[in-house]
Amino acid sequence: MTTDAPVISCKNVWKIFGDDPEGYLAKMPAGQSYDDIRADGYIAGVKDVSIEVGRGEMLVIMGLSGSGKSTLVRCFSRLHDITGGTIEVEGQDIMALAEKDLIDLRRNKMGMVFQSFGLLPHRTVLDNVAFPLEMRGQDKHARRARALEVIKLVGLEGREDYFPRELSGGQQQRVGIARSLAIEPDIWFLDEPFSALDPLIRREMQDEFLRLQEMLGKTIVFITHDFDEALRLADRIAIMKDGAVEQCDTPDQIVMHPATEYVRKFTEDIDKSRVVHASVLVKPDAQGEGDPVSSTATIHDLAPTLVADLREFIPVTDGTAVIGALSRQEALEVLVGAD
Amino acid sequence: MNKFTTALATGVLAFAPMAAFAADSSDPIVIPIHNWSSQIVMSNVVGQIFEEMGNNVEYVTTDSQAVYESVRLGDVTLEMEVWEGAFGASFRAAMEKGGIVDVGDHNAVTREDWWYPMWTKDACPGLPSWEALNDCAEIFATAETGSKGRYLDGPVDWLKHGKERVEALDMNFEVINAGSAAALWAEIGAAEADKRPVVVFNWTPNFAEAVWPGEFVEFPEWVDGCDKDPAVGPNPNALYDCGNPADGYLKKAAWEGMEEKWPAAYAVLEKISFTNPQIAEMARLVDVDELEPDEAAAEWLEANQDVWKAWLN
Amino acid sequence: MAVISTNQPGIKPQQYTSTQIATGVFCVALIFTLLQFTGLLPSWLHRLPESWIPPFAVWLDAAFNFIRTDLGLEKLTRWFAEGPLQFMLDTSANLLYGKKRWPGFEQIPWSAIAAAAAVLGYYLGGWRLAALAGGTFVWTALIGQWTIAMETMSVLVVAAPMAFVIGLGLGIAAWKYPWVDRAIKPILSVLQTLPFFTYLLPAVIFFKVGPTAGAVATIIYAIPPMILMTTLGLKKVSSEVVEAGKMSGCSRFQMLRHVYVPAARTEILVGVNQVIMLCLAMVVLTAFIGMPGLGAKLLAMMGSFKLGRSFEIGVTIVLLAVTLDRLSKAWVVKLPEHFEKGTPWWQRHKYLLAGVGAFVFFTILGQFVEWFAEIGRRQNFSQGKEIDTAIKTFLAFDLVQATTEKIRYVLNVWVLNPFRDFLLSIPTAGFILFVVAGALALGGRRSGIYAAVFFGLVALSGWWDRSVITLYSVISAVILATLIGLPIGILAARSEKWSQRVLLICDTAQTFPSFIYLIPAIMLFGITATSVVMSILIFAMVPLVRYTVEGLRGVPEEMNEAADMSGATRMQKLWNVQLPLALPTMAVGFNQAIMFAFFMVIIAAFIGTQDLGQELQKTLAGTDLGKNFVLGICVSLMALTFDMAIMTWADRKKRLLGL
Repeated sequence: MTTDAPVISCKNVWKIFGDDPEGYLAKMPAGQSYDDIRADGYIAGVKDVSIEVGRGEMLVIMGLSGSGKSTLVRCFSRLHDITGGTIEVEGQDIMALAEKDLIDLRRNKMGMVFQSFGLLPHRTVLDNVAFPLEMRGQDKHARRARALEVIKLVGLEGREDYFPRELSGGQQQRVGIARSLAIEPDIWFLDEPFSALDPLIRREMQDEFLRLQEMLGKTIVFITHDFDEALRLADRIAIMKDGAVEQCDTPDQIVMHPATEYVRKFTEDIDKSRVVHASVLVKPDAQGEGDPVSSTATIHDLAPTLVADLREFIPVTDGTAVIGALSRQEALEVLVGAD
Repeated sequence: MNKFTTALATGVLAFAPMAAFAADSSDPIVIPIHNWSSQIVMSNVVGQIFEEMGNNVEYVTTDSQAVYESVRLGDVTLEMEVWEGAFGASFRAAMEKGGIVDVGDHNAVTREDWWYPMWTKDACPGLPSWEALNDCAEIFATAETGSKGRYLDGPVDWLKHGKERVEALDMNFEVINAGSAAALWAEIGAAEADKRPVVVFNWTPNFAEAVWPGEFVEFPEWVDGCDKDPAVGPNPNALYDCGNPADGYLKKAAWEGMEEKWPAAYAVLEKISFTNPQIAEMARLVDVDELEPDEAAAEWLEANQDVWKAWLN
Repeated sequence: MAVISTNQPGIKPQQYTSTQIATGVFCVALIFTLLQFTGLLPSWLHRLPESWIPPFAVWLDAAFNFIRTDLGLEKLTRWFAEGPLQFMLDTSANLLYGKKRWPGFEQIPWSAIAAAAAVLGYYLGGWRLAALAGGTFVWTALIGQWTIAMETMSVLVVAAPMAFVIGLGLGIAAWKYPWVDRAIKPILSVLQTLPFFTYLLPAVIFFKVGPTAGAVATIIYAIPPMILMTTLGLKKVSSEVVEAGKMSGCSRFQMLRHVYVPAARTEILVGVNQVIMLCLAMVVLTAFIGMPGLGAKLLAMMGSFKLGRSFEIGVTIVLLAVTLDRLSKAWVVKLPEHFEKGTPWWQRHKYLLAGVGAFVFFTILGQFVEWFAEIGRRQNFSQGKEIDTAIKTFLAFDLVQATTEKIRYVLNVWVLNPFRDFLLSIPTAGFILFVVAGALALGGRRSGIYAAVFFGLVALSGWWDRSVITLYSVISAVILATLIGLPIGILAARSEKWSQRVLLICDTAQTFPSFIYLIPAIMLFGITATSVVMSILIFAMVPLVRYTVEGLRGVPEEMNEAADMSGATRMQKLWNVQLPLALPTMAVGFNQAIMFAFFMVIIAAFIGTQDLGQELQKTLAGTDLGKNFVLGICVSLMALTFDMAIMTWADRKKRLLGL
């Protein structure tokens, strides 16, 4: 997935809220905990985070409310100025950008979807979607054509002249999504886009979102507090707590090898067999016999084979060649949820 | 000298009215309006006369004391009613500063003083003498004033010195200031219902005499200096120990520059002179017939063509 | 931490609570007063000697003169007054009542304005609003007040937009730059408590007597709420909408123009509503400095005691106020709706077309049928005389006369005069300490200090007695208003239906220009202290009733249900649940009642008072700016003291109750 240089790369990023965050950070001794900082009257929104997002990758940032995930994503787009560390977007230090360049970056490279939609109540669907295009000065015909195109893409055709309050929640978020896509951004930020929706609609929107992503293949930073959602969508998941990233890895690895107790608790109630892929359990040096199974299949997909088949090792193929074999015993343990 | 040339000028102008009136500036003549009806109608009457002559006229509502400062500065052009008792002081002060000129008296005389409606005389037959009034002080007493009589003076800003007079003449009265002319009429109106005796501040000419017949109280006669020199008047140690002048003047005043800017209008202004009945009639058209001031003025002009046409020639 | 230390009183024995200090101060004040009554108090503690009073008025005059002439401000303001402002006023005057100025048209026919207003009313709020808007203008024309009403409107249509623009600009600046906010805040609170007479004189001096000064005073008077509403609205814009704007690549100006201001639409329009209402109220009051129009006419009619005509003008003013209020409020809640695809152009703009069509039709009709353009001399339907007679007959009924006489007697002799004399008998030092004690007890230390400073300044101003008389009118009226208003509010709050009705009445009454309240008071009670107190009372009762109803209706339903399930009787529920919870809101109403009373007491000078208002009214006749300001500030300082103490108390109570 990560083919070339990372699109977003942040190193030791701090975001502290308080009266004089810069001064405080400069004088702060190393190893201060979240609570230590809090006792000094400051809030560590983002605490020493280093993370990279590759081109075309979908990074999901997961955490409970107040864990700093929204703050972090706002640092990426410089909606918040960071207190310490560096953030580079496509090799550019965004803290060094002049206001004009920052505006240019947002007008051409970034799109963002908000939890409560953030729609402008006085504009129609069409005008909301065309808003970023209007801001960058595109002429009326071009922006209307483009807006109609994305409105069609999110399935809101025929509602162009509605005002936001005339739409349902799911429809409003489709407008939000369409607006964020109007400028054809390279980087797409989604801040809990489906949290405000009913569970049924949420599921539908997730499917819709996956369909879109399949078509568009953007670099995505997706925020959620819902671990299931994260597992469902993510290439990689970063789990945050008290402003810091506890673990950042693929869903399989997080489920199989939680780095901390906090992460493990999240994985407890998860049906691991639906998350873990055959590729994770592959032992390259093991030899299996008989028909191979696909490395991209989840253990849950393989359940019938695993239960019926009596082979000790089952060969795994990535589609072109056999890359090793998985232990049936291990796979069955994942399936039944034993640790 | 000045008067003579103007008179001469008007005399000449009378023979060539068109040419003469063209000499007036086309800027509007600004006429001030105050808060009593005779002045409003009279100002409208004069304004309509000026308009008849081809001038532009505009009316502004102003305070009746502050207006002399405005006339002096040329913000307003003239003032039709300068009452000796009420505005003499402000007028003289403005004259001293310069910029305002005296354009002569109306035929009318003015008087303003303590006044009572006729029915009061039934309860206090000695009236109109002020000593008699003082002897019946108790019939003017109200709950608020206790045993003292109640005298409703004009609003404080009219500077009527009622309190000073009560002290100077050692009268058994308490002076209450009304907040406005309305308060005075309200008091008389309320008293009328059960013919309660009242004594209030009043003046002539105004509409009230047509509605409520009454008389002024006769105080010690006005002597010049009564308001400046304690020695003058019956009480050697006090100011304001006389009544107000019984035949005060009613003047016209104008901005110094008017004569030059609107010579024709100024000439007419000099000739204008209203009598007491004429002024009362103007007030009546508004106060009793309830016409709008401009309508009242138009009506008055229609009915009195012989009076004002004479001033034009 | 703070909680712990109060639990250990031994640590800091020298710390007293505000209540303890308040009690101490109260006792000292009481001792002063008792000493004064026994004649033992040194006279300088009773009333400040004349020689101690700094010549504030002279200083202020010097400062004004410096700004006015030396700095050349007068040149600038006079230029503005005689140039652009005069031009705008002349233009609107030409259009509305045909003043002979640019662009030199005839006046717009009354029927055209009425028709356009009706269409606008229909667009904003359906048939009812159409009838109200159209009916108001028809009434105004038929009753023969078209010209004077248009004189008023011609200033309003200039002043309101200017106040809106300036208020919006300042509001945005205050929201954007904290230092502007800090600078504006105290000025705003003083402006909002400053008696309107204090706006008038500087306006006259700097902007020439007449409509220009009136317009300026009106604009200044209407700006503060616009600033407050703008700032409030901008602060309330949801952070996500802001971020969405930023992520759409808005520049700063684009953010303001396309995101902040439209998103704060509701608050800004509420501000517009308030601007219009305040402008109307003020335009009427500027009659005192020579603004022609409804106010001047009302003043003149009341001046010649023509109650019938005063009443008719009052009705016109009220109708105009209610119309403007309802129209602008309907605009606040009017949200855009989409049209189905393919709706033709004329359909999309049908109201605009109808409005323009009606306007053009009646304008042309007016050219041919004079009656539709202008209602001429003796053609109107004014019933002034008949109403006059009716009112006088009503007042002459023995029952009415006996009742008003009785009320007047009891209030004057038994209540008001003794109360006034009592207040005047308290020594200045004692009086200040009483106020400080009250402020301490209510609002804590800060309020106490402010009270001491503010009332100290009032004492130093040299207008102490008149200030006390002002305060006496305010206090008596507010107490009476509370005695009458609270029961009304409590009764009304018992049923939803009555709450709605009473709130509607309050809403409507609040739109009346304050001047109107003088009419019934004078009619019933003549020229007495009772009349003054009554007019203040009616005016001040409105917020009191309103907030009582709102406070009681605002008690959460669960609390009422919990009380019911605990077996509380109606009275128990009222005393133990509803009133305690509603108290902070009611305190806000009480506070507003006091502010309204301070406003009204100044206007009541028209009836005749011995207080600051009368002195203020007197200054209007001259050029005594210094004195005018000293008097105005005295009123403002007293009002602010109350405002601060009560609002602090209400806020704290609210926090404690977790509301």
